[in-house]
Amino acid sequence: MNLLEVKDLAQHFGGLKAIDQIDLSISEGEIISVIGPNGAGKTTLFNVMTGVYSGTRGSISFQGRPIRGLPSYKITALGIARTFQNIRLFSNMTALENVMVARHCRSSSRLIGPLLRLPAYKAEESAIEAAAKEVMSFTGILSCGNDIARNLSYGNQRRLEIARALATEPKLLILDEPTAGMNPTESQELVELVRRIKKRGITVLLIEHQMRVVMDISERVVVLDYGVKIAEGTPQEVVRDARVIEAYLGKGG
Amino acid sequence: MKRALPLILIAAAAALPWAVQGTGAAHLVRAGGIIGLYMILGLGLNFTLGYVGLFDLGFIAFYGIGAYTAAILAGLGFAPPLTIALAVLSAVLVRFLLGLTILRLRGDYLAVVTMGFGEISRLIINNLDAVTNGPKGLQVPPLRFFGISLSENIYYYYLIMAVVLLSIAASRRLENSRIGRAWVAIREDEIAAGLSGIAVGRLKLLAFCLSAAFAGLGGAIFAYWEQFVTPESFVFWESILVVSIVVLGGMGSVSGVLLGALILSGCPVIMQAVLSPEWINYRYLFFGFILLLVILFRPQGILPSRRREAELLNESS
Repeated sequence: MNLLEVKDLAQHFGGLKAIDQIDLSISEGEIISVIGPNGAGKTTLFNVMTGVYSGTRGSISFQGRPIRGLPSYKITALGIARTFQNIRLFSNMTALENVMVARHCRSSSRLIGPLLRLPAYKAEESAIEAAAKEVMSFTGILSCGNDIARNLSYGNQRRLEIARALATEPKLLILDEPTAGMNPTESQELVELVRRIKKRGITVLLIEHQMRVVMDISERVVVLDYGVKIAEGTPQEVVRDARVIEAYLGKGG
Repeated sequence: MKRALPLILIAAAAALPWAVQGTGAAHLVRAGGIIGLYMILGLGLNFTLGYVGLFDLGFIAFYGIGAYTAAILAGLGFAPPLTIALAVLSAVLVRFLLGLTILRLRGDYLAVVTMGFGEISRLIINNLDAVTNGPKGLQVPPLRFFGISLSENIYYYYLIMAVVLLSIAASRRLENSRIGRAWVAIREDEIAAGLSGIAVGRLKLLAFCLSAAFAGLGGAIFAYWEQFVTPESFVFWESILVVSIVVLGGMGSVSGVLLGALILSGCPVIMQAVLSPEWINYRYLFFGFILLLVILFRPQGILPSRRREAELLNESS
């Protein structure tokens, strides 16, 4: 069984077909890239998959369970986490707190525990903190733990977002343009991080614009244009595909 | 020193009634109790406005619901503990039903609807003569515990102080808990919070209901203390005052809210005592001036909230 199965998925905004007739299957342990020109519908696809939009038609099943139209928090609890194209951190919280927040769906204390400082609550709080520190150490930002998130460097903000997503214990991690605005060295470091994430047993789906990164880490590439899938295959196959070349460069005279 | 300051302040507040006993400043005990009630209201509103960032301009309605429930039940002969518990419960219940319907709204829209609710509540209290006795108000029998009638200001001063201390403890314990972090995350970025696994709607409703519990409790104490409730105590201006307390002190900051309550609800008393009594008429001007200064020079509030710092000694990468 595939980890994620998308069938005939569509998201329309009035007359605009942001995505249409999307089929996609992802098996466990893969690194898959979605590429396409600006406005091709890549982020919309991710938004429907994570419950930000509910989709107009079609189905998404994750580990055999239908998830289209579920609220975001339920999808996260099932095991899909994501980052954002334009970083969305909890800016006025510390870096560590940002990650601790993401342990919400893996913990359970409510009002009585903290109000009475029950032992079970204290134990859970230390477990939350330990788990948060582990993923921060994994992404290499543990030393910034007490810094307010908005004061972090750009590269560390990206890493913090990834740490926050990892803290939800996802089976599928969706990264929306993780190398945007990074120089080649930083991009290379990020590629290494994605490889290490895969080694943790997490499947990675990413939107990426830097072709060097795409060619380097993707095992499979999906190409979108005007909301529909125009090609799919290994990186080498895709860059030779006539329709892909046309979408990016236009038709030759 | 940092740990000693709260203890010194608590000791000073506890000693105040003894220090002023028999002097011309004895009215400060009553003023202290009123400031304490605003502290309870401010700490309550801090759950929604401070932590979750929901603008609420009708908060005083729940103070009114608590006060009127207490007044009506006490009039029917209910025992004080039960009366107070039911007053809190009724405020929470109304808040829950309201929250179910209006929490989809955000920002200004939510502010306008809560303001409308506050006004509607006051008009209902004002016109439902059969239950509330309308603008003439309701008498409340004095609070009795074990046959002793508590009507002196000093009893209420200490009762309110105890409730303030409990409210502070509750706020502090919750703000750094799983639920408190989730609230602040919602304030910071609702979409990212949802995608981090937080059930945004449910947690907003929880904060919304919890804040009403504080308002209901404050209202019940107020009703017993005054032994009289009228719709005049729950006007729109009071809601604005509580919002101002939270904004002036620092949204989401417990010490900020306490200071805000001390300044905004304490200043009329000080102005009356230090200057001449007619200065009370200029208090709105004074509030406006203070708020303007804060917005211009310290928009985060006088004592903005600080995030908790954690030990990071076991660095391994």
